[in-house]
Amino acid sequence: MKGLKAGVVLAAWSLTAAAAPAAESPRPAVVTRDATRDAVVLPPARTVTLKNGARLLLVEKRDVPLVAFSARVRGGSLGDPAGKEGLAALTAELLQRGAGARDANQFADAVDGVGGSLEVSPGLEALVVRGQFMARDIPLMVELLADLLQRPRFEQAEVDKTRERMVSTLAAEKDGDLRQLMPVYFQAFHFGAHPYARPVGGNEASLAPLQREDVLAYAKAQLGGDRLILSVVGDFDAKQLATRLEAALGGWARASSPAPVAPPTAPTKGRRVLLVDKPDATQTYFTLGNTGISRTDAERVELGVANTVLGGRFTSLLNTALRIKSGLTYGASSRLSTPLRAGAYSVASYTKTESTGQAMDLTVEVLTRFREQGLDAPTLASAQEYVLGQFPPTLETGAQIAAQWSELAFFGLDASDVDDYARRVSQVDPARLKAVIQHRVPAPEDLTVVMVGKAADIREVARTYGPVTEMRIADPFFAPPPKAPKP
Amino acid sequence: MRGQKCFIASLMLAGTVACAQGRAAKAPAAADTTAKATATASAQVRTRTLSNGLKIIVWPVPANPSVALYNWFRVGSRNERPGITGLSHFFEHMMFNGAKKYGPGEFDRVMEAHGGSNNAYTSEDVTVYQDWFPRSALETIFDLEADRLGHLAIDPKVVESERGVVYSERRSSVDNNNAGLLMEQVQSTAFVAHPYQIPTIGWPSDIESWKQEDLERYFRTYYAPNNATLIVVGAVTPEQIFTLAEKYLAPIPAQPEPEPVRTQEPPQLGERRVTVRKLAQAPLLQMAFHSPRARDAQMPALDLLVRVLTEGDSSRLHRRLVEEERVALAVGGYLGAGFDPSLTWVLVDLPPGGDPTRVEALLDAELARVSTEGITDAELRKAKNIVVADFWRRLETNSGRAQALGTFEVFHGDWQALFGAPERYEAVTREQVRQVAAQVFGRNNRTVGVLVPEQASGDAKQEAAR
Repeated sequence: MKGLKAGVVLAAWSLTAAAAPAAESPRPAVVTRDATRDAVVLPPARTVTLKNGARLLLVEKRDVPLVAFSARVRGGSLGDPAGKEGLAALTAELLQRGAGARDANQFADAVDGVGGSLEVSPGLEALVVRGQFMARDIPLMVELLADLLQRPRFEQAEVDKTRERMVSTLAAEKDGDLRQLMPVYFQAFHFGAHPYARPVGGNEASLAPLQREDVLAYAKAQLGGDRLILSVVGDFDAKQLATRLEAALGGWARASSPAPVAPPTAPTKGRRVLLVDKPDATQTYFTLGNTGISRTDAERVELGVANTVLGGRFTSLLNTALRIKSGLTYGASSRLSTPLRAGAYSVASYTKTESTGQAMDLTVEVLTRFREQGLDAPTLASAQEYVLGQFPPTLETGAQIAAQWSELAFFGLDASDVDDYARRVSQVDPARLKAVIQHRVPAPEDLTVVMVGKAADIREVARTYGPVTEMRIADPFFAPPPKAPKP
Repeated sequence: MRGQKCFIASLMLAGTVACAQGRAAKAPAAADTTAKATATASAQVRTRTLSNGLKIIVWPVPANPSVALYNWFRVGSRNERPGITGLSHFFEHMMFNGAKKYGPGEFDRVMEAHGGSNNAYTSEDVTVYQDWFPRSALETIFDLEADRLGHLAIDPKVVESERGVVYSERRSSVDNNNAGLLMEQVQSTAFVAHPYQIPTIGWPSDIESWKQEDLERYFRTYYAPNNATLIVVGAVTPEQIFTLAEKYLAPIPAQPEPEPVRTQEPPQLGERRVTVRKLAQAPLLQMAFHSPRARDAQMPALDLLVRVLTEGDSSRLHRRLVEEERVALAVGGYLGAGFDPSLTWVLVDLPPGGDPTRVEALLDAELARVSTEGITDAELRKAKNIVVADFWRRLETNSGRAQALGTFEVFHGDWQALFGAPERYEAVTREQVRQVAAQVFGRNNRTVGVLVPEQASGDAKQEAAR
């Protein structure tokens, strides 16, 4: 492949890497007008709030005989009690393993039998339930979703089996593509004692002792009608579906505790390094970053455009320096995670063990220069065109539209967040953008650094980046409990 | 559960799997809907072949103001030989690195400045270039594509730098990824004659040493309009596309047809085994069976069979290995569908300390059972339902439509076969599935790969403890 395609991340810019436009790219004046004219708007939703506080958002889309839904149940890993990280993830997995009149096998048969999909994933601040069925199977879809949310069985045998499998999977995943795990290591080390440090899938050490009682307690405290946002998009009559969903979900009791809220986050000062030893690695994976912004930050659009230039597309500054010009790596990128509080803003790449220092130094150079110089007018124009041009395909499918509506509702935003997006992107003010870059892009002197690779060969490089904390890839956690780093 | 990524490169779609033992799922009341909708869609598609042999297929879909353009070339690692393994994939990289009008880096810079993004992938059989852009950029995209197709510059300096990029790609997907490492060994063991034995990313020594003239020959031979199929889907009209194609692409001259790949893999007469020992948390087990080419009439039956065995939590192998026996973390299936007979894969992720011998015995039993008894009515109905749902999911996006049209035109010789697919799958019987199981899942027809975790040596242990 030419590049690693990131999955479609709605309204977030965690795209894969990029590089810096050098000289002037003549601004195609026509395109901006077209791009704004061609901007997509979010199809309007019929919204219903049930007596128990559940919110429904329904959109009719009849081009294919499918229906897709995206639900969020507020809480997620923020609801994990201290020391029981991964409880939300275990609960999420178990919700799909037997509910209502069906045991785990019957539930899977019901979903697969009609060619449907139904999946519960844990998130930092919500459990996310996604599904897609043929339109003719809407009654079954509603029945399965209602059972899963309100009548999960949590059978003892399933709890034991699922927990054991999740613990083993966490270990086995370290044999695979580490690009997937780097953000988990980074969040765990960077956020330290803050709940945003929790790996949403838990870690081997914290998952292993969890019991059925823990799951029941989580479900009682963190699952309930008042926590539910459900968006459904597809080939149906919205009024009829609203009636059906109200009957199925209106009786869901409220969660017994208030929804958990994370304390505010802020950028950290100084540098800290986590070095994870993987003795058989021939390549070092590294991530550097700090705390960025929340989803509702007033500067989100500006920072999104800036991030496109720094590491959000193929010709970004990072990809240009580390891949296109030097051949040090297959990809270098930056990633902006935007939860309810300010999330991580990080840059990442990987390179053969021998060129670890060179690639990391180059990364910091790019970061430093970007903060000092910002971007010139042609580069801004190009980034605006790019962001505008790549936006419409993010709202092509029923699943994408459902996810977008659920996201907006979760963050307390309305359709204008999407509908005004193209206008806001095309009107980004260069002076304000420069200020945003200097204020929001991680400063080279204040960086959390995570390196995974062959420690014996890269320990000295690690030390040049700040005080080093060391651990092994086989350790059953993603960051050691906070303690004084080694000199 | 995401160890060894399994996706069925099915005749129709990448999907996931299932197997139903409960009540029989409904027969598709949607058959009518599907038939009507496919007839409508099929009627919207227009094609034209330029005088230089380039075939163009256009599917106008005005719903979203964007466009997907996929250019398919009939060249992949199947066209390589020792010394130039990985060249097709490396060449894919070079196609982004400068031509006559747009120099090194310009292709991406100009495309992105007009709101477009791109990528490409190389397989054993094909190399596919993908552009996604707003409709306002249409003419610019044709200009960019014509420049690289007509006048690629292969700059020796860029070649050297790009070797590093590709080697990094290999380190990420093979050398530092145990499932990728084992698959490479299994595939190169499964074929003794046919170039499907060559890993698409290339062997390390070849990545470091192919030559300028290899690249230039490749361009002349395979990057000819008569060796390509261009698919355009989205907010365009066929007239627009044909006019632009005449202006920008028609001047590129046709070339002599490339030499065909003549080698056929001889029948396998006994099991082959391969072991990889390395530092690891957990073992892996893979099995690869020789199976028919994409165009073979048995492929829909084999696709349904692989889905019944490996797709979803209700699938046979998941239920047996993961749920009942608890000896595996995940089971995946992958159906290779190429120009020539390829492989059907079963991939099993074991837990740390897991026993590959036990897993293999259980797999043997399950594969023997399906080869003699076949599958149930409910399983067949379920797999067909999944195929139809996947069909619609794929036709929900411009990218999905472009990938589907290209797959059917290039591998089956007819894009219209896409729209007949639901019907062809509906016609498959239980007996046909049993027959293809018996034919493919023979022990003599397979290569078994095991990754055995090794303990860190004393040195490494001390190192880690410091």
